[in-house]
Amino acid sequence: MSTTESTASAPQKSMLTRLGIDRLSALYLAGAFVVIFGIWKPDTFLSVASFKLILGENVAIGLLALAFLVPLATNSFDLSIGAMTSLSLCITTWLSDDFHRSFNMPAGLAALCGVLACMLFGVLSGFIVVKLKVNSFIATLGLGQIVTAVLLKISDNRQITSAYSKSYLKFGSYELFGIPILFVYLMIIAAILWFVLEQTPAGRYLFATGGNIEAARLAGVRTDRMVWGSLITSATIAGITGTILSMKIGFFSTATGPGYLFPAIAAVFFGASQLSRRPNVWGTLLALYALALGIKGLQLVVGSGSFWVEPLFQGTTLIIAVSLASQQAVARIKKKKKTA
Amino acid sequence: MATTLHIHSLSKTFPGQVALNDVALDIEEGEVHALVGQNGSGKSTLIKILAGFHQPDANFVVTMRGHDFAMGSAVAAHEAGIRFVHQDLGLVEAVSTVENLALGFGYDTKFGSRINWAAETKRAKQALLDLGFDINVRAPVATLGAAARTGVAIARALQDTKEGISILVLDEPTASLPGADVDTLFEAVRRLTKRGISVVFVSHHLEEVFDITDRVTVLRDGKVVGTKATKDLNMDSLIEMIVGRGVSSVAANRTVDASLAPRLQVQGLVGAGINGVSFSVQPGEVLGVVGLTGSGRDTMVGTLAGALTRQGDVLIDGEELKGGDPRESLTKGLSFVPVDRLRNGILALMSVRANITISNVERNAHGGRLSHKEEKVEAAEWVKKLSVVTAGTEVPVATLSGGNQQKVMMARSFRLNPKVLLLDEPTQGVDIGAKEEIHAFVDQAAADGTAIVVCSTDTAELARLCDRVVVMYRGQITNTLTRASGLSAEKIDQLLLAGSSMATAS
Repeated sequence: MSTTESTASAPQKSMLTRLGIDRLSALYLAGAFVVIFGIWKPDTFLSVASFKLILGENVAIGLLALAFLVPLATNSFDLSIGAMTSLSLCITTWLSDDFHRSFNMPAGLAALCGVLACMLFGVLSGFIVVKLKVNSFIATLGLGQIVTAVLLKISDNRQITSAYSKSYLKFGSYELFGIPILFVYLMIIAAILWFVLEQTPAGRYLFATGGNIEAARLAGVRTDRMVWGSLITSATIAGITGTILSMKIGFFSTATGPGYLFPAIAAVFFGASQLSRRPNVWGTLLALYALALGIKGLQLVVGSGSFWVEPLFQGTTLIIAVSLASQQAVARIKKKKKTA
Repeated sequence: MATTLHIHSLSKTFPGQVALNDVALDIEEGEVHALVGQNGSGKSTLIKILAGFHQPDANFVVTMRGHDFAMGSAVAAHEAGIRFVHQDLGLVEAVSTVENLALGFGYDTKFGSRINWAAETKRAKQALLDLGFDINVRAPVATLGAAARTGVAIARALQDTKEGISILVLDEPTASLPGADVDTLFEAVRRLTKRGISVVFVSHHLEEVFDITDRVTVLRDGKVVGTKATKDLNMDSLIEMIVGRGVSSVAANRTVDASLAPRLQVQGLVGAGINGVSFSVQPGEVLGVVGLTGSGRDTMVGTLAGALTRQGDVLIDGEELKGGDPRESLTKGLSFVPVDRLRNGILALMSVRANITISNVERNAHGGRLSHKEEKVEAAEWVKKLSVVTAGTEVPVATLSGGNQQKVMMARSFRLNPKVLLLDEPTQGVDIGAKEEIHAFVDQAAADGTAIVVCSTDTAELARLCDRVVVMYRGQITNTLTRASGLSAEKIDQLLLAGSSMATAS
């Protein structure tokens, strides 16, 4: 009994907890990368340009990680967000395309259509999960393929280029006090999501749904709405990611989008071992940028032909992070059993 | 008849509780021996020791066919030919009888490790025919009737005949069986006894005890009350043996104003296991619902609360609830604490605070923003009010003991200021101290004018809490006991145990 009390209220914290190594391992990891690669490749790694690059290049992954996080709070998976991003980018570019004079929409309106299309698909995936009672993993895996079919039909499996106005592209390249504007977008969306998840009743209901859906329902939580709403939200964020990519790269290719899914998921699961030890916004971004620093450093060390570094690094860290987290959980359970 | 199993001086002590006290029991060859007693009488402990799941205290004397027998060892039990079929049959529903039998036995293989399906099928068919079941052994078990599924479970238990089967323990085998299926099962049991196998039959259904068993052993409070030939007993004398003349606890002392309009009205309720039930509860009244599992008692709270679908009317202060929606019930003044806290109640990894406020988080939100500070203060007040033992409002509720988790559930309900409160097994898995406290909260809620319904298998609890108790059997109310007519645990027990025979008589 005395042991449970001391661990629960933790009057004397161990060295490990005081330094926050267990809850801030990503921060320490990031620090280690900066030191290691800073010594190894001081002129290339330790430059303002490379830090700007790291911030800006990972915005799309960060946004998709946040998209994945929302349904995950309700214990649902949205695997369609990669394809949704592609769709949004495709529609935005297509509608504002110079060569299809029939549309030739203003880019802002086209972007809005891209996001709306994703929202509608989010409504559909919510319907499949909530009303047709298909497991979210399967439902969104399937829907992702359908979304891919739609964008392949629109694009004819070709790159779509668009004569975006310079001012529209400025939204993707501008720097605010030296910080890439894309990163500012990510922070704005992260702040909104943090507020909803941590500071509103809706956030509490989302996590309750994820914790025990039947208990939450019996406690009066509208669990169906929570799951459905979270899938609409994830699809919408994926849509916004697509339009932000249109500002950044200015054209559509089928290769853009799906590749972001894995690193995004890796960041969410790694991030879930940080801070509050459940899926959370700031832990996710912390994990994302810690991994990004490591990848960048390795790429600089390996030099040309370093494409393989990224997936290897992401795959390895995901497995290590999650296994460490489950080791901790197992240790906690064992401890509890001993004292009980 | 020869004695198969002879048990003498068998005790089992758990920390702080004597579960079995100097038990003596003989199982004769080829007999059907009933083991009966109330919940907590020690039946299941005895079965678990026999299966080797628990170790008995030292100094017991047990012989199997005249040889010393290492009671409390699963290996010894298996080698002695003791087999078990539990209420949860443990079958793999999606695959066939043939495969279910092979799972426990291993496949008969042909050259190259190919499974010899023809031989397997023949063997399964024969095993089921021996029990009197002529079924399609290649069909998925899920497509079989309830009795046939029990048959498959028995066949699987009996198939490993290397050592020879001595005793088959049927633990509540009929709990989920319709009447006609029970007869089929009993036919199988009779066939077994003709092969010299002894059957230990554990059941709450006393009329079945009279139908099938040769002898009855009654357990109460961990002791053997007696072993008698079934034919020397009748329903009344058996009930008396089971219930005994215990001391009833101090009952609640409250007066219910019958002149007021009823707070809860239930009319023609039909739902899962409930087949046309009507009753009403006055403000400040506590109504108890008792019945065997499957009688409708176990689904009553879920049905009234809207967690399960229903037909019929449920009214609170004259206002009708549409049903099918727990949230509607909660917002209209009907709070409930569901059974099985771990599955339906607590959000284990969330904090005590979040668990208390989850049914209405908005209360501490201003302009859409949740005030964590205010919420903590409110949660701390509830923790204090219900004397929840916890390391604070921020620790996961899973770190609390069962009784304290249940208090958190009560706090969640009371916080909504309910007009009607439904409690399903409110003190299951709760220690004595917390149990009394929870009972006191119920008294207080009643004093505040709440109409309360308590569904429970703990008849002493019902006698302690209730002004009125209704007995359910097969989805209907068959009896009502009021405090005026004398309400005691013994009386409830008698009606509960006799419920079936009375219903058939009327």
